[in-house]
Amino acid sequence: METIMKTKISIILTLLTAAADAQAALRVVATTPELVDIASRVGGSLVEVQGLAKGTEDIHQVVPRPSFVTKLNRADAVVYLGLTIEHAFLPPLLDVARNPKMRTDAVKECVGPGCIDCSEGVSVLEKPENLSRAEGELHPQGNPHYNAGPDDGPIIARNIAAGLSRVDPAHKADFEKNLKAYLAELDAKLALWRRWVKPLKGMKAVSYHKDVAYLGRFTGLEFVDTLELKPGVAPTPTHLEQLVKEMKEQGVRLIVREQQYDSKMCQWLAEQTGAKIAVIGSMANALPGTETFVKYSEKNLKDLLEAAGKDPS
Amino acid sequence: MRRTLVFALCLAPVFARAQDAKPSSEERIKALEERLNKLEGAPAKTSLSAFNPAIGLSIDMSLVDANDKADFNFRAAELNVEAPIDPYLKGWAVITASNQNPAVDAEEATLETTSLPYNLTVRGGRLFAAFGRMAHFHDHELPVIDRPSSLNSYVGGETRADGLEVSYLLPSDLFVNLTAGAYDKMGAANARQDPASARAFDEFTYLARASTYKDIGDDHSVELGLDTAWTPFRTVTENTAVTGNPIASTFHQNTWRTLSGLDFTYRYQPTSGGIYKGVIWGTEVLHNDEGRFDRNTNRSTQRVQSFAGYSYVQVKMGLHWRPGIIIDLTEDQDIAHRLTSTYSAFLTYDVTEFQRLRLAYSEALVNVAGTPRTRTIGLQWTGILGHHVHGFRDR
Repeated sequence: METIMKTKISIILTLLTAAADAQAALRVVATTPELVDIASRVGGSLVEVQGLAKGTEDIHQVVPRPSFVTKLNRADAVVYLGLTIEHAFLPPLLDVARNPKMRTDAVKECVGPGCIDCSEGVSVLEKPENLSRAEGELHPQGNPHYNAGPDDGPIIARNIAAGLSRVDPAHKADFEKNLKAYLAELDAKLALWRRWVKPLKGMKAVSYHKDVAYLGRFTGLEFVDTLELKPGVAPTPTHLEQLVKEMKEQGVRLIVREQQYDSKMCQWLAEQTGAKIAVIGSMANALPGTETFVKYSEKNLKDLLEAAGKDPS
Repeated sequence: MRRTLVFALCLAPVFARAQDAKPSSEERIKALEERLNKLEGAPAKTSLSAFNPAIGLSIDMSLVDANDKADFNFRAAELNVEAPIDPYLKGWAVITASNQNPAVDAEEATLETTSLPYNLTVRGGRLFAAFGRMAHFHDHELPVIDRPSSLNSYVGGETRADGLEVSYLLPSDLFVNLTAGAYDKMGAANARQDPASARAFDEFTYLARASTYKDIGDDHSVELGLDTAWTPFRTVTENTAVTGNPIASTFHQNTWRTLSGLDFTYRYQPTSGGIYKGVIWGTEVLHNDEGRFDRNTNRSTQRVQSFAGYSYVQVKMGLHWRPGIIIDLTEDQDIAHRLTSTYSAFLTYDVTEFQRLRLAYSEALVNVAGTPRTRTIGLQWTGILGHHVHGFRDR
């Protein structure tokens, strides 16, 4: 009788433990769709990832919705790009989320054991020499759009793996295993993409916003100017006239429009200069069929090559 | 030869140590990479001022013409400082200079907890009480030049209050926020109480507010708030200089006041448009139930129930333009059937994120025969220096 009782208790305890394990998935909030993808890959079944910004949004203008507050309130970790790129929404959300694992911070955006900053170890480009609003909406720590650089994917993945391991050290080996598998896939893609972009090296281009520095570094494209007068400051007629002149003088044949920006102005510029337009995404899911970091990076490169009249080979 | 050999033997250990101490190229590269990574990730603030608060200033001015009388109006220069105090607390102050009386005033000087358990937050000091939707906006944050007359009349302008507030965020997928507060009084221009004098606890104002928010798909959302501010008693002393009575009467019974509000906000914000495209429709209805007093004699008159409210629509047409209209209906708190109707149209031009121009036209009419219509046209110019934000609540 006693043995049967013990067996029943052990079965119940086993079931309860299994149920607890099933519910123990880390609640992770990621600020952008490509971070949702990479965190899901690295975390696997051990994490439940929710996103904030939609790919079609301008990351500088994401509206901090109260529904985001409830996600952050109950999260174990928040994965973010950092370098103040999420300044419009992450600090005000963390300010009211009441989550002791992640608090708002004026410099690092987020401080606490649940903060996973993906910018650690990124070779940051375009650090401003002069911090003044007269220079537009600057990011004091440098250009934060490294998520557009395909070769920064491994750094993002490593940061996420390290962050998840810190939050849930019991599953460190699982995260590292997932990371290894993901990096193998990414490395193969990077090798392929490096071959693709060789014809772009040295080609001159302009973009709407100054968010293509990392894409430029990977492709070899030389971005000479932007449609915006200064970062975050809308184009003016005088600036556009000067840009037309500059593009003609420098032989710029490519206009890169991030999908969230005005298409008419780019079209006008293309008509004035004869340059071709490549529409790219600034985040995953910005364009159809780009829900993962790999698909997003690949689509951007294909669109650049197509507009430049080159074939991926 | 022997001397040379001894010399060589003495030097050998020194060379050996030097060889042992020299790191390999791989180690040196790794150390350099670590140093580089630290430098690249280092915060921008590295000076002794790193712990200073964030500082910002908004400058707000207007040119207003009301019934052919014009005035340049220095509305406010609003200085804010804000910083964490310790791991448990943050604080901020908003000091305003304006052409009002007093010319320089502390609009807010607030402490707020940052790490209380159970989703609780406590804030105290001089604060903008969490009543309604627009009443706790600073003037330069309003979607219109002038605060709606219903809020000016019923709340007393901004919901400035000296007191304490506790708020609770429900731990659920649905956003529900509950707030309770106790204040000396509520409303910067509310003259019912003198905030500098002490009083019994039953003469404080007590607030309860519940608000919720729901996304409807990716592009639409609704927000609903319900609140009441209850003042159990007032003590009002008759003005004998006006009445001529030898002994002043003091009124305390049946002096309670309840100001209740219901606010509703609908937002259409297409995800591809960010904060620059969409529609906001905001409506707020106020109900005042109060034992009133004669303005001259301070003698008790009667209990009056009255309503007021506004409704506005603002269309965000892109990076620069935001046209809108607002209608405000305000019943007189002493004579409820006396209604002031104000109709306004406004056009905002955001030059950049930190500079704004606004043109507004309004007509105000009281439903009393012979009362002239007031026509006002105003041009507002606002600029923001540094870090000047009023937080998530005033988004």
